[in-house]
Amino acid sequence: MSEEKKRLGKVFLNGVITENPTFRLVLGTCPTLAVTTCALNGLGMGAAATFVLIGSNAAISMLRKFIPDQVRIPAFIVIICTFVTMVQLLMQAYLPDLYESLGIFIPLIVVNCIILARAEAFASKNGVLASVFDGLGMGVGFTLALTLIGMIRELIGSGCLFGMQVMSASYEPMLLFVMASGGFLTFGILLGLFNLVVRRIEDRRRREAARQ
Amino acid sequence: MSLRLSTAPHIRSPKTTTRLMLNVLLALLPSAAAGVWYFGTRALMLLCVSTASAVVAEYLWQKLGRLPVRVGDLSAAVTGLILGLILPPTATWWMAVVGSVFAIIIVKQLFGGIGDNFLNPAMAARAVLLASWPARMTAYVTASRFGVDAVSTATPLARGAEGSYSYLELLLGNVPGTIGETCKLAILAGLLLLLLTRTVTWRIPVIMLGSTAFFSWILGFDPLYAVLSGGVLFAAAFMANDYATSPMSSRAQVVYAAGIGLITVVIRNYGSYPEGVTYAVLFMNILTPLLDRFMPHKIYGHQKVKEAKKA
Amino acid sequence: MKATFKRGVHLNYGSKEPTKHLHTRDFVSDTVQLIMSMHIGAPSEPCVKKGDLVKLGQVIGTPVGFLGIPVHASVSGEVVAVERIPYLMEEPVMAVTIRNDFLDEWTELHPLGSVESVDPAKIVPAIREAGICGMGGASFPTHVKLSLKSEQKCEMIIVNGAECETHLTCDHRLMLESPGRVVDGLRAAMRALNVKKGVIAIEDNKPDAIESMRCAANGRDGVSVRVLKTKYPQGGEKQLIEAVAKRQVPVKKLPIDVGVIVLNVGTCAAIADAVIDGKPLISRITTVTGCVRSPANLRLRIGTIAEDVIGACGGFSDTPGKIAFGGGMTGLCLPNIYMPMAKSTNGIVVYNEKDARSVEEGPCIRCGHCVAVCPIGLNPYQMKVAADADKLDMAEKLHVTDCILCGCCSYECPSRRWLTASFKIVKQKLAQRAKGGTAK
Repeated sequence: MSEEKKRLGKVFLNGVITENPTFRLVLGTCPTLAVTTCALNGLGMGAAATFVLIGSNAAISMLRKFIPDQVRIPAFIVIICTFVTMVQLLMQAYLPDLYESLGIFIPLIVVNCIILARAEAFASKNGVLASVFDGLGMGVGFTLALTLIGMIRELIGSGCLFGMQVMSASYEPMLLFVMASGGFLTFGILLGLFNLVVRRIEDRRRREAARQ
Repeated sequence: MSLRLSTAPHIRSPKTTTRLMLNVLLALLPSAAAGVWYFGTRALMLLCVSTASAVVAEYLWQKLGRLPVRVGDLSAAVTGLILGLILPPTATWWMAVVGSVFAIIIVKQLFGGIGDNFLNPAMAARAVLLASWPARMTAYVTASRFGVDAVSTATPLARGAEGSYSYLELLLGNVPGTIGETCKLAILAGLLLLLLTRTVTWRIPVIMLGSTAFFSWILGFDPLYAVLSGGVLFAAAFMANDYATSPMSSRAQVVYAAGIGLITVVIRNYGSYPEGVTYAVLFMNILTPLLDRFMPHKIYGHQKVKEAKKA
Repeated sequence: MKATFKRGVHLNYGSKEPTKHLHTRDFVSDTVQLIMSMHIGAPSEPCVKKGDLVKLGQVIGTPVGFLGIPVHASVSGEVVAVERIPYLMEEPVMAVTIRNDFLDEWTELHPLGSVESVDPAKIVPAIREAGICGMGGASFPTHVKLSLKSEQKCEMIIVNGAECETHLTCDHRLMLESPGRVVDGLRAAMRALNVKKGVIAIEDNKPDAIESMRCAANGRDGVSVRVLKTKYPQGGEKQLIEAVAKRQVPVKKLPIDVGVIVLNVGTCAAIADAVIDGKPLISRITTVTGCVRSPANLRLRIGTIAEDVIGACGGFSDTPGKIAFGGGMTGLCLPNIYMPMAKSTNGIVVYNEKDARSVEEGPCIRCGHCVAVCPIGLNPYQMKVAADADKLDMAEKLHVTDCILCGCCSYECPSRRWLTASFKIVKQKLAQRAKGGTAK
């Protein structure tokens, strides 16, 4: 059982760090760049995507023996659509403000590469529990990345964090960071840093393994 | 007696990277002096801050990144000083710092340092500042030495301002504008120095100015006013012909410079910005590798072969 | 309008000043060492042995193969050694060392008579027997240049008096001191090939030479002087043809394929000696300059050792750091001062330690100066990237094989990058690869 726990933990961490969808796989960059003008938007987008990921991963994993190989992509899309529609309706009902600010990017989760990629690469080949953990890991990785980008852009671009003013009143926000170009800049620099750090860690691990 | 062995050539031109950058710095001095003369100590402070922060940023980056420290080639100082000269005199010191650091770290060093940047660092930094603090970057004042201080006035480029300043005023720089861009006489002196020391060739500046005048004239504007107002002359002398970001083959240089002129005129007269030279230069910077690739010099002896094949 | 080619560099010719006003002096040394491969092509076969007594102008090396030319004794005296010696940067070569007896007793000569009366068919063989090869530096056998295939037609012979290299003034002095010889040599070559047009091309920084050659060419049918703009490499064969004949030599073709032959002024004078007097090539004018006490133009016997030449110019005036055969832009370095000069050695330049210090390569700043000066129209900065990464295919695609190694890009590079040096190596590697099929 602990063996199984370890495996699931690894699957989860894989999504958060080793194969972080935003910084390592560079998937789903369109919503990443478009909605992260503030931290809350990033968090909301991440949460929505996580819900869809877990749901679709679980459903596809359950149905993986029944979906014919030739039509698997349309089948996946239909499943993903179902969950996206659920998220959309739920958000519209309970979080109308967030729904407003995310706008078209909620329905666009359907074509988010992360979700389809995980369905194709993981859920269609693994058991339900592992797929759920993979969805959770990927979702958390995505959410953390988006929230981080959103926090940086919001802090520099409008002097706030999660909508609360944190910089002193005399701070003049650098508007560039709430524009698209600021999104690219933040994303690019974080991507570089993340990879630098992960590579350093991996190198050290490899060196240690070689020593043993 | 030990003799050194090396392949030819055994002589080298006296022009080194440092020497070339020093030439540019010297050529920028007249503009800097004119800026300080017109806009006072605040301009001097901005120039010092921008230059110093560019040099410090480069030094720290190379030192912390364990790279060879090449601050001595003066290229960072050139970038910093140019950035200072394209700031409005009302800019704050932290804008100069942010601009310089952005120019050096993001535009230059992140892409590999000297020679590997694909945008003119100072121009890119100016675009960033323009996007970030648009009100502050366009708050031009008339030269404090000659009248009202710190009152925003229409720049010579504002819509409908054509003709509101005489050519002489524009030439001398007694008009609102950035620190270094207003005094055209000083810029021309700098350009002349660059040409005489063979630091740059005439092609890009001359064609860029010609194209600005030509397209202004075609579209029904005063060509001389177009060249003398705004930052066209400064960009032509010091920014459009930046080594790393301008094409190398002569044909590509012609297209590049003409393109800058055209885009400047179009943005000025039909766009929502009063000055378009920033985006014109940045746009053509991005096209530079393509231009070089598709319009290289004709290689000796390859023309005839094609003709012979056809025949 | 002065004729010129595209791009190139403007050099500082101050290095020519010490020697350009000095009349040529004769210098004969105690021993000469004649190497057997002074020309491009198979080395000659030594036909004397140690202890033999040779007369001035006697054949001591017989030609081998189509490109072969003979080597003649440049002094009379006793052969003291026939051995392999290391030479410049190439493989060891055979060399014959002769101790001079200072009698200067000529071997039997066969003059052909004046240019007007000579049998045209005998001229080219006489040139071969005189052992003449290009004296401007490339040392291509002249008789081969002048032997046309049936489909080739020569319209114009250009005499290269550009002397665009730094330091060197030997061609300049030759044009001032024996202009008649140069014109006679040109006319002999024109007569041999039945060419109607001969052009003597001289850069405009040598107005006295232009005047002197104009006088000598006056009244000679078809011979004219063309003034060239002073720019390096104006005297490069391809550039000279572009400037004077307004045509380009296609890739992998020879000048004769566009109807032009280019001869150096020194070669022309040697042709005149060979045809009119029947004398083989045994001496030439060489500029000795740099840090020597009294820089000079010396008429040297072929095979004079560099050490003796420098001694004849008063020795070093400063600690020597580097000695090169040839000018500043293309000269070849000597490993030591015991190297003998060859038929194409137009100059011996001594650099002091400061000038010889190798410079540290900086990063490429993409200034484009190399592109702006390349007379061929190449992109040296890209070729250097390919060369540094040892990507031969990429370098070939960038036309590194068209590079003439003129040195313009290295000269101009503000980051002091060793561009020409890299291209030389890449060209050698590519040539080796072509020879060895698909080696590596």
